[in-house]
Amino acid sequence: MTASPRRAEAGDRPLLAALAGLTLVAFLASLAVGYVRLDLVAALDDAIHGRDSLAALALVELRLPRAALGAAVGFSLGLAGAATQGLLRNPLADPGVVGVSGGAAFGAVVAFYSGLAAALPLALPLGGVAGAAVAAIALYALSGRGAGTMTLILAGVTINSFAGALTALALNLSPNPYAATEIMFWLMGSLADRSLPHLYLAGPLTLVGWALMLSAAPALDALSLGEDTAQSLGFDLRRLRARLIAGSALAVGAAVAVSGAIGFVGLVVPHLLRPLVGHRPGRLLLMSGFGGAIALLVADVAARLIPVHPELKLGVITALIGAPFLFGLIDRMRREG
Amino acid sequence: MFSDATRRARVATRPLIGRASRATFRHNGGRGGRTAARLCALALAALASVSSPALAKPHRIVSLNQCADELILRLADRDAIASVTWLSQDPREANMAAAAAGLPANDGLAEQALAYKPDLVLVGAFTDPATVALLRRVGAPVVELDVPETLDGVRRQIRAVAAAVGEPARGEALVAELDRRLAAVEALVDASRPPLRAIVLRPGGFTVGPGSLIDEIMRRAGMINLAARLDVGAYPQLPLETLVMLDADVAIVDDEGFAAPALAEQALAHPVLAALSRRITFAPLPSRLWTCPGPALADAARVLAEAGEATRRARAEK
Repeated sequence: MTASPRRAEAGDRPLLAALAGLTLVAFLASLAVGYVRLDLVAALDDAIHGRDSLAALALVELRLPRAALGAAVGFSLGLAGAATQGLLRNPLADPGVVGVSGGAAFGAVVAFYSGLAAALPLALPLGGVAGAAVAAIALYALSGRGAGTMTLILAGVTINSFAGALTALALNLSPNPYAATEIMFWLMGSLADRSLPHLYLAGPLTLVGWALMLSAAPALDALSLGEDTAQSLGFDLRRLRARLIAGSALAVGAAVAVSGAIGFVGLVVPHLLRPLVGHRPGRLLLMSGFGGAIALLVADVAARLIPVHPELKLGVITALIGAPFLFGLIDRMRREG
Repeated sequence: MFSDATRRARVATRPLIGRASRATFRHNGGRGGRTAARLCALALAALASVSSPALAKPHRIVSLNQCADELILRLADRDAIASVTWLSQDPREANMAAAAAGLPANDGLAEQALAYKPDLVLVGAFTDPATVALLRRVGAPVVELDVPETLDGVRRQIRAVAAAVGEPARGEALVAELDRRLAAVEALVDASRPPLRAIVLRPGGFTVGPGSLIDEIMRRAGMINLAARLDVGAYPQLPLETLVMLDADVAIVDDEGFAAPALAEQALAHPVLAALSRRITFAPLPSRLWTCPGPALADAARVLAEAGEATRRARAEK
């Protein structure tokens, strides 16, 4: 039992290396694509030598945070999708579908528009994390362990709609007239004109979230054999649940707080990669992280290349690709079920 | 009862999200002619009133539009004003807030206007068409103000409103004051030097395109609008990297400075702009100065001209 996961992990290396390589390529593409032509080599040279050129400014202050946030947010969404699906043993459990992203958006909206984040910048990602955690706990309380797909989705739809309505309410109550026009950002997500401080704010919480989720890989593999088997193998399921809920709340909450809620990444990516890892949820985690990073970076490059102004929200692009995928998944479940 | 944004949308002269100038520019074709004809008729009526005092001045004037507020506050007797919009009583938003204080305020609703039994209702081009239709149906005299795109249009609008409120002489005086103050700004600007390259930066990354009043005021202040050479389209939103690479001399920051935060204003606090301020001049300009037709437009031109002079001095020292 202990030998086979190690062999499997060794076998994963080429696939992981390929996904990591593709993530790097997508990251570089995100740096290279934009609204103005930028000589990246010259800009990098200026930045390294501290020359105050416009190209260096655009690269360091605008392109770099955008690409890095794209990779980090995508990694968080892919990883959290795989972790939630593994924990609930349900292929439709994705942070966007079950309302965790929606809860995070509401938490971040309250922290931002109340002025709390202006006084204490860390309140922005922490607000997102708190909202995500409340939504995740509510989901678990509403649907319970081993709940059927119907119960889970019903609970998720309820949390999602409620969080969306609360977000709209909070934005409407703001005395700033721009606030009401910004609901699109929170419900659909965007990386346009993000800054390095966003990266610094979201980064540490995100890393802790990743570590918590990735450390649960062996327990998730055991859980796929059933709760009794996992317990007999010595895994504490209560701690596993706490770790995964905390991990996804940290990563998704911090991501949504700086990029808005972006759907479908956490749903589609684990499904595409699952057959490649022999349907082992623990092995799927890291790969889904890289897969999510690639997906979001590509979507963000597309957002800048599609000649629509102002640029499309990322959630629009991921939904255009992800929704047909979800229809296919539902159709397959219906025929199998 | 209503959110701030909803109340604002009803009475503001331009929509919050940068579309204003081009959108009005486009539908001017259809609506402008009709309005111009109506204003002409009003002007004729006003001329007639000089000789025949029988044509009574309105004395229960209601304005449902922020810019109409400013004009009637400058042109009509205070006793003749029944109500102005709530936006005009906020000193951050309006140039005539002190004069508007104490007057009954409205939210731009037809029923509020009718409660005053008005003998003149002023509405804007963006006033809800249903509100205007209702006012007309119950027979209230309605005058609709366009958003002028040129200083000539501003002068025409001042005269038309002066005629509508029965004070043509005050209208002429106001136009003369505007022209006198604009001329004083022009004296500050040395036209022999090449103009400074400037761009307007509004919350949310919006800018102001060519063919707008703001564009003309920038020219008066010795600047050319760089947005003219960009294909900003009908929805003039600039990505920050476009702004950075424009290499402008002056960025005019048109910030309303609301107390509560919004993402749109956070874009104006992006660190790249702080870094950019080492190279270009950021000229803050209160939005209220160039939102409405009136002598404040000359103040806007003066702010820009002075920022331009400061920029040139700083360049010369380097």
